[in-house]
Amino acid sequence: MKFFVCCKQVPDVAMAFQIKDGELQKDDLNYVLNAYDASAVEESLVIKDAVSELDLSLVLMGAEKGKEALRKGLAMGANDAFHIEDDAFEGSDSHAAANVLEAFFKDKEYDAILCGKQSQDMDMGLTGGLLAEKLNIPYVTNAVGLEVNEEAKSILVTRQGDAGQEKVELSFPCIVSCSNDMNEPRIPSLRGIMQSKKKPMNKVSVADLGLATDAVGKSGSKSTLLSMDFPKARKAGEKFEGEASELVSTLIDKLTNEAKVL
Amino acid sequence: MSKILVIADQKDNKIKKSTFEVLSEAKKLADASGSSLEAVILGEAIAQEAKVLAHYGVSKIYTVENSMFKNYLNRPFIDGLKKVIDASSPKLVMVPTSESVKDYLPGLVGATNACGIMDCSAVSLDGGKVQIERPLMAAKAVSKMESSDDLVILSIRSGSFDAVEADTSLSCDIESVDLGTVDIKAVFKELISAQSDRVSLDDANVVIACGRGVKDKSGFELVEKLADVFGAAVGSTRALVENGIAEPSLQVGQTGKVVSPDLYIAVGISGAVQHTAGMSNSKVIVAINKDEEAPIFSLSDYGLVGDLFDIVPKLTEAVKELKAN
Ligand SMILES: Cc1cc2nc3c(=O)[nH]c(=O)nc-3n(C[C@H](O)[C@H](O)[C@H](O)COP(=O)(O)OP(=O)(O)OC[C@H]3O[C@@H](n4cnc5c(N)ncnc54)[C@H](O)[C@@H]3O)c2cc1C
Ligand SMILES: Nc1ncnc2c1ncn2[C@@H]1O[C@H](COP(=O)(O)O)[C@@H](O)[C@H]1O
Repeated sequence: MKFFVCCKQVPDVAMAFQIKDGELQKDDLNYVLNAYDASAVEESLVIKDAVSELDLSLVLMGAEKGKEALRKGLAMGANDAFHIEDDAFEGSDSHAAANVLEAFFKDKEYDAILCGKQSQDMDMGLTGGLLAEKLNIPYVTNAVGLEVNEEAKSILVTRQGDAGQEKVELSFPCIVSCSNDMNEPRIPSLRGIMQSKKKPMNKVSVADLGLATDAVGKSGSKSTLLSMDFPKARKAGEKFEGEASELVSTLIDKLTNEAKVL
Repeated sequence: MSKILVIADQKDNKIKKSTFEVLSEAKKLADASGSSLEAVILGEAIAQEAKVLAHYGVSKIYTVENSMFKNYLNRPFIDGLKKVIDASSPKLVMVPTSESVKDYLPGLVGATNACGIMDCSAVSLDGGKVQIERPLMAAKAVSKMESSDDLVILSIRSGSFDAVEADTSLSCDIESVDLGTVDIKAVFKELISAQSDRVSLDDANVVIACGRGVKDKSGFELVEKLADVFGAAVGSTRALVENGIAEPSLQVGQTGKVVSPDLYIAVGISGAVQHTAGMSNSKVIVAINKDEEAPIFSLSDYGLVGDLFDIVPKLTEAVKELKAN
């Protein structure tokens, strides 16, 4: 079997960041492998452990430093990586990312492509489904569990839906967007990290994919990010300490007479 | 003159509250820009319920009824909605965010070659451009975005807009659209749902959410009792879902659901950004935590510093008494 995981490198959203003149200050950011993509890598590796002939490749579209995210996935246990790198990618939205990934996958052989359910920085969650539609293959999002059936050439996906957990069977080839509720991604071992340095990191350019530069980056995007800002901060509220029964009567009073929600 | 199309979201053939929020805002946008407003609803048996959409000033309603909508799969939604979009040819499509919507919308955006933007919190029309606001960076920042595409499809974050009062004197044309044959390459196997009589997170005015602080199932049940006296929904952090103490569908946050009730009570929750991303828009936030430094206190209106095992049962009693009077 052949799986690909689409990996994005994202700023660590748990860290503090600065916004100046409507722009995110990129220099102070710490970049990581998107957590949802790490879960997709982890789940593939679990399958790989059960089905030894699973070949797992990673693909990332993005700037030079994106190779660190790929190295992380390789250190976790993926076989090789493809880094589609070009300065023209700056300002890409999910549509532009899907254009590039479509061109990449057009002539590739694969059983499944796994994506993250969303990128941690943008929370957009469009790329996987868009890519599936472009490649004309079925997809499921928000996966919390995977079981492959090699003989039937299919995958049973458990997804968190509105009515509960839905089990859906997809035949290969297909795309699954993964939730981090699927697993806890492994921390690469020292040996894994050493090995990752010898694993193939294939560079791919926009020209290699036969894409015009205006199909990518800002011009390949359908939406434009105009500006960023901090949200209106909630007013710092009141804090109460003391006996439980006192705290309760204070709260009841506040909710009834001040907030008027009781 | 352009057109706005709202996709109604329903559960068990009942239109969800979030749909009325989106319809109300779409009507304002339509009136302000001289556009017309249409709506579409898909489901197993929704012809009757569809009429309710007219009460929000919609000039035409499309219905797509088919038994294929019984168990959720994305393909019938993508194909059905593509048909309606081709027939209606709107400039802007708006739909309230839900797990199903998050699933089928990317495919619909691809199938219609539209510009898609998920989870918007504000929308405006400026000539041929659609401008939106949406949170990002785990809701620690908001962004302004714009698209001048011919077709823009937006999902709308719950609680972004207030629903107006329905005007039951209004009615309009209803057109039934045939789904036709759908080429489905996926098979629905099973639904594992934890049925509960409690109000769902999507529709709740009050949410009582709990985190690792409740420790175990019996702590969780204390919170459930509190929710019951409030008539509230129960929410949870990822920590309790991971431990198997809370149902996955109760998770609130970046991975889980976004809620914005009138009252959100966070019990034993630290307030990690990935959790607050899903609840920081609640109208009134109460936090109960024994650590006075817990980050949740920085966004709560009322913070009770103390042991939840002491406070929650007393609060339950007090609310029960209040409601009885
Ligand atoms: C990509 C990603 C996505 C995520 N998505 C989500 C998400 O959707 N939702 C989510 O919730 N999390 C999410 N998380 C996890 C998140 O980062 C936190 O780990 C999680 O929210 C912590 O849950 P908690 O507050 O219950 O636990 P903790 O952080 O352990 O906090 C427990 C709190 O309980 C208090 N406490 C303990 N005992 C008592 C007592 N007796 N009385 C009163 N207070 C007490 C403690 O003081 C503490 O503040 C995500 C993480 C990642 C990386
Ligand atoms: N530049 C990229 N390179 C590779 N994969 C990507 C890229 N952007 C997005 N993806 C994939 O698409 C998923 C969803 O991204 P998004 O639509 O941006 O929320 C991510 O979790 C990745 O799996």
